[in-house]
Amino acid sequence: MALQVYTASLLKEGLVAYLTLENGNPSWTPDIRLATAGTDSELEALKLAAEQSELENHVVAPYAIDVLETEAGYIASTKREQIRASGPTIRLPQDAVRASRKAA
Amino acid sequence: MDSYIKDRKAEGDEWMPFTGLEESSSLPTGDIYVPLEEWLKSRESLLERNGRLGVALSNTDDPALIKDDLDRLDLVVLEFPKMADGRAFSQARLLRERYGFKGEIRATGDVLYDQLFYMQRCGINGFELRNDQDVSNSLKAFDEMTVTYQPASDEEFPIWRRED
Amino acid sequence: MYQYSEQDHQLLLERVAQFRGQVERRLKGDLSEEEFKHQRLRNGLYLQLHAYMLRVAIPYGLLSSDQMRTLAHIARKYDKGYGHFSTRQNIQYNWPKLEDVPDILDDLAKVEMHAIQTSGNCIRNTTSDPLAGVARDEVEDPRPYCELIRQWSTFHPEFNFLPRKFKIAVSGAIHDRAAVAVHDIGLRLIKNDGGETGFEVLVGGGLGRTPMIGKTIRSFLPKQDMLTYLEAILRVYNQLGRRDNLYKARIKILVHETGEEKFRELVEAEWEKIKTSGLFIRDEDFAWIKGFFKDPEYENLLDQDGNYENLLLSNLDFARWADKNIELHKQSGYRIVYLSLKTAHQPPGDVTADQMDAIADLADKYSLGQIRTTHRQNLVLSDVKLKDLPALWEELAALDLATPNYNHVTDIISCPGLDYCALATARSIPISQAITARFDDYDYVNDLGDVSINISGCINACGHHHVANIGILGVNKKGTEVYQLTLGGSAREDAAIGKIIGPAFEADEIVDAIDKVLSVYLENREDPEETFLTTYRRVGQPLFKERLYG
Repeated sequence: MALQVYTASLLKEGLVAYLTLENGNPSWTPDIRLATAGTDSELEALKLAAEQSELENHVVAPYAIDVLETEAGYIASTKREQIRASGPTIRLPQDAVRASRKAA
Repeated sequence: MDSYIKDRKAEGDEWMPFTGLEESSSLPTGDIYVPLEEWLKSRESLLERNGRLGVALSNTDDPALIKDDLDRLDLVVLEFPKMADGRAFSQARLLRERYGFKGEIRATGDVLYDQLFYMQRCGINGFELRNDQDVSNSLKAFDEMTVTYQPASDEEFPIWRRED
Repeated sequence: MYQYSEQDHQLLLERVAQFRGQVERRLKGDLSEEEFKHQRLRNGLYLQLHAYMLRVAIPYGLLSSDQMRTLAHIARKYDKGYGHFSTRQNIQYNWPKLEDVPDILDDLAKVEMHAIQTSGNCIRNTTSDPLAGVARDEVEDPRPYCELIRQWSTFHPEFNFLPRKFKIAVSGAIHDRAAVAVHDIGLRLIKNDGGETGFEVLVGGGLGRTPMIGKTIRSFLPKQDMLTYLEAILRVYNQLGRRDNLYKARIKILVHETGEEKFRELVEAEWEKIKTSGLFIRDEDFAWIKGFFKDPEYENLLDQDGNYENLLLSNLDFARWADKNIELHKQSGYRIVYLSLKTAHQPPGDVTADQMDAIADLADKYSLGQIRTTHRQNLVLSDVKLKDLPALWEELAALDLATPNYNHVTDIISCPGLDYCALATARSIPISQAITARFDDYDYVNDLGDVSINISGCINACGHHHVANIGILGVNKKGTEVYQLTLGGSAREDAAIGKIIGPAFEADEIVDAIDKVLSVYLENREDPEETFLTTYRRVGQPLFKERLYG
């Protein structure tokens, strides 16, 4: 079974977050590299913690995603989740205009 | 029914549903309502009863089927099978505006706080709230909005045709 | 433009208070996400790939300069300093926090704006011709009708939980700049033989998984009957539209499955019963609503200006811009100016807060304080004096809003795609930027003439790829983003759905593929006046197919 982490959106901010579980204490981090990954039975504990966070209205719609372990930490397996983890792949407009003005 | 609102007040519900599956000997006394199918089948015998009568329409039933019976009915029950299903809004308006029904139009099913305002505007005046809804709090929903633009069962004209 | 009455203001305040309550109930846990979702969507609030997204309504694409400044303020205070103009003439913010949304709505309400019904299965913002009131080919100004539809549809108690979303567009001109044929209802203002104004009524157009061109169910509807007729259509749809399958729930499927003739009978039968109801529009109602959309006091000007004409001859950049981005005005001495939101530097339709503020100032200075948004994701200054064009051009160029490409190959419609959207299967913005970068030679773009490229990042078709001359659909094939080409679509009065040409291309092949398609056109057109679409319709798919796959 593939290595997985739990992800969701934070209810208040809407931002992407990943579940970490340290000594049974759940918290949510924007950095996928800091997420707690697991397979099989470990995943079950993550699932319960994620659902609990949803019940407590910290996060919305948690789900598990496949990750790969690299030297730099976990990265998501699919393009969609990679973009979700690191943000739009394009330059955001404010920056782009500034950059084009500098270049001009 | 604990969570019942009638004419913007928390009320006790005197009506008993009759599914048609019961033996006629076990028919409850008092006010009963029956599904449309049962009404069409047993109309004459039901009309012999002393109590008040109601009919429950499913979302696919055309209200026109009972338009000639409305003066003998005190209740029409409409169904909101889930929050997102809005067919009964049209049924309610037809009953009130086109067929002139004066009795209770009751919403059942996913009857939730945020729909009460719209239901009321379509002529629904009885509400069997879903069990998790707080009745006294829900009463506030009727007055959240005071401005309406379009005609409905509560207004004959759009806002631009109303006096003052 | 329409000015709010006390009651209109009251309604917005009540709506903001109501939504504030809904957010509080959600944060406390009194409202489940499932139930809250219906409420937040009815207020334009989505949960997207990275964050919440708020869609703010711009009724029929008309904005005052003060409204534009408020949009800039919101971008700056609550978001990341920019906004995105959508194909339905609205604006979207990509990063608001849920807790801030009630405050954003408060700020919007102060300038008579809101996010009401910009999402959800209800009647959405009515869209229209961005040249309404100033176009030379206009039969009648559609905006008063749009405003009546806006009021009628706002919190309509019967039609707030429809089978699916519902979009209405109104065009008042000979040329269709509102894509009315691909809306759930399209209304075309026409005059009958007796000279009376009315509507051709199209129903059941739409894009998405099952693209369809709307069917004319009534060739002439007297204008007085517009709202009763809309109510009849919506009532038939609310009762009979499919609710068992999300993908078959739009009215186009109902029209298709019921049959055009039978559907028309159902609507006409319902309409017979309500045509004299309170929604009948009287002469005095028209007089009242039209009062808000009177012509401004135009100056009496000659349709020529020495400075302007000199600059045309002496400044190539100005001449190019004037050739591409300016349109004739019904009033002598005035012009309509397109502000291109399609540059190599920004995603199509994106505008920064600084640009918004600057555009608001330009509108005040040169164009009677109003701005329009277009369904092709550009902006319009509708009332610019001919003599002001040189000064306006300089200011627009400094703001990077003067790319001379209106209705040309780099004037690309693009949905946000997988860079932002939770539903997308592939990215669209990088593809649009790659195409824009490739076709950066003015002479080539000019030679290609009138051609449209639209890109969608999934089958839901928010980028309108079906109705582009050249449509691009991004899909996910075994984990890779690939792009399918459709050719021959049109969103105008000759509306048509494009046809898929063949197997999809990889991201690094798609720009070359577009290049080939354009070359086939250039080689086969009868003369430079023949547009891409006309050539394509004349020669058909095979030549293009052969070049792409041969």
